[in-house]
Amino acid sequence: MTKRSYPLITAIIILFAFLGYAFFAEKSDQNSAEPKTPTVGILQLMSHPALDAIHQGIIAGLKEEGYIPGKNINIDFQNAQNDQSNLKTMSSKFANENADLSIGIATPAAQALANSISDRPIILGDITDPKGAGLVKSNDRPGGNITGVSDKAPFKLQLGLIKRLMPNMKTLGIIYTSSDDSAVAQYKMFKALCKQEHVKLKAYSITNTNDLNQVAQQAVNSVDAIYVPTDNTIAGAISTLVGAANQAGVPIFPGVDTMVKAGGVATYAIDQFQLGVATGKMSAEILEGKKKPATTPIKYFTKSKLIINERAAKKLNIHIPASLMKEAQTKGEIVK
Amino acid sequence: MSILVSAIGQGLTWGIVGIGLFLTFRILDFPDMTVEGTFPMGAATAVAAIYHGFSPLAATLLAFCVGMLAGLVTGLLYTKGKIPVLLAGILTMTAAYSINLRIMGRANLSLYGKSSLLDLFKGLPPYFNSVFLGMIVIIIVTALIIYFLQTNLGQAFIATGDNSNMAKSLGISTDTMQIMGLSVSNGMIALGGALVAQENGFADVNMGIGIIVVALASIIIGEVVFGELTMNERLIAVTIGSILYRFVILIVLQLGFNANDLNLISAIILAICMMFPAFEKRFQLKRSLSRGISKHE
Repeated sequence: MTKRSYPLITAIIILFAFLGYAFFAEKSDQNSAEPKTPTVGILQLMSHPALDAIHQGIIAGLKEEGYIPGKNINIDFQNAQNDQSNLKTMSSKFANENADLSIGIATPAAQALANSISDRPIILGDITDPKGAGLVKSNDRPGGNITGVSDKAPFKLQLGLIKRLMPNMKTLGIIYTSSDDSAVAQYKMFKALCKQEHVKLKAYSITNTNDLNQVAQQAVNSVDAIYVPTDNTIAGAISTLVGAANQAGVPIFPGVDTMVKAGGVATYAIDQFQLGVATGKMSAEILEGKKKPATTPIKYFTKSKLIINERAAKKLNIHIPASLMKEAQTKGEIVK
Repeated sequence: MSILVSAIGQGLTWGIVGIGLFLTFRILDFPDMTVEGTFPMGAATAVAAIYHGFSPLAATLLAFCVGMLAGLVTGLLYTKGKIPVLLAGILTMTAAYSINLRIMGRANLSLYGKSSLLDLFKGLPPYFNSVFLGMIVIIIVTALIIYFLQTNLGQAFIATGDNSNMAKSLGISTDTMQIMGLSVSNGMIALGGALVAQENGFADVNMGIGIIVVALASIIIGEVVFGELTMNERLIAVTIGSILYRFVILIVLQLGFNANDLNLISAIILAICMMFPAFEKRFQLKRSLSRGISKHE
């Protein structure tokens, strides 16, 4: 041992001394004083149009219930930028500042929160399958400190729309990301529905956006139309898919509104912003103590609107019935 | 205060990953990209094994073995297949992605309601369970590596990294040494993945993103802060560096930077740490620093 190693030894001694001090200090004062303004922690997995829309919706929902950020509520927003090693540090930050309520956007974010916080409510924003992700005991009676809002895509409406717009369709293709748990869950649900409705479905999967072009080229040669579920990865690279499909004259029917705007033909989509608003409102009710997470069932947000991309439809010679156009005009959205 | 304890607990666990990378990055002088695949592989193996009824300890050891296998593949590709080591690692990492999906059967598997190694430390103040678990594992791992490096085999291993031509001329089978180093290193990284997954409560197929940066940060911060040390002390400095890196992230979070800038800020901090030795040389920082601090030197 030389003089050079003194700083290292000092660091180790300080570390142990601190841990020893913290060990006994924590035992004596478990509860510190409560802050007066409630704090809400929002943990988002990554930046992405749909997830950002939910985040904005949550803020709007809280505002509607009378919680103005910076005035009578503190919002601590953290974004892990898809680096999952950050999630734990961010969750323990919420736990440490005694956040009165935490909101997790996307499954890994919610799981990290659930693991760090067991004594305060956690609200799920946009978790497709809370029970499958191991977050709640049952979707009807969560039983713990977790409840929230789930997005169940209106598959039946979406498939019905595809059948109506493509009456001569023989095979429908689906493209999803196999490394995204929620996309796989949706693929399984959609497959079951297709079997029920006697639609021939051919499945294609990618692991990241770089696979998309080739998989898409392969798909467009053997199917008449392509369905894309609510899939964060494909949503980010939808232009690639649209480019490949349109060249072969194959229409894309996505599950999300943003993908229709980027070149998909039409869909019944859940409004992610409104889903966020519902999450914000539920959070407010739990903050006020009106509801308890253990007994509040997972809310399925199913309100959807029809979105039609007129230009994409014209390009691919797909005739859209006047009644649908009218529906989109009055209750939904038409992209020109 | 508990947030500091939490950071220390995480730092100890990530220290295992740092020491794993140290074996290849510093001793063998390899840029081993396999780690971004073996880390989630360890996590996936441990979580899937616990999910299917293995005891947490057996699951964690299994993760170590699976990680070693992945390292073995990279080692064989490099030594026998003559593929450059950077590429060999990237190939294994890419293949690991599919294997991880197979191991879990899905992209994300939760440990909700299952037991984990952390259950061994119940009834402690918050976060001390991860501190104790991390400390026990890191002490065992560090002691084993220190012991190993003193043996004849360990000395041959160090010699291979220092100068493989000279080692070869001394009759050391450098191929065997490199394969062994890559296996043990990746085994440890998988072990780290298994522990992190149990602390986080889930394994996710995308959790490997950025691992190499975290592990490099531990090594480099340890080196910059503590300067020149003996081999054994350098191993310990990696763990301290890993804890310091957690503190840095914590400070960045506490200062309330825009959440979108986090990656940029971590990268800048790391770049400064990495450039520090070069600046130090140029401006002779150390000499003026030590002159300022102590009179007799």
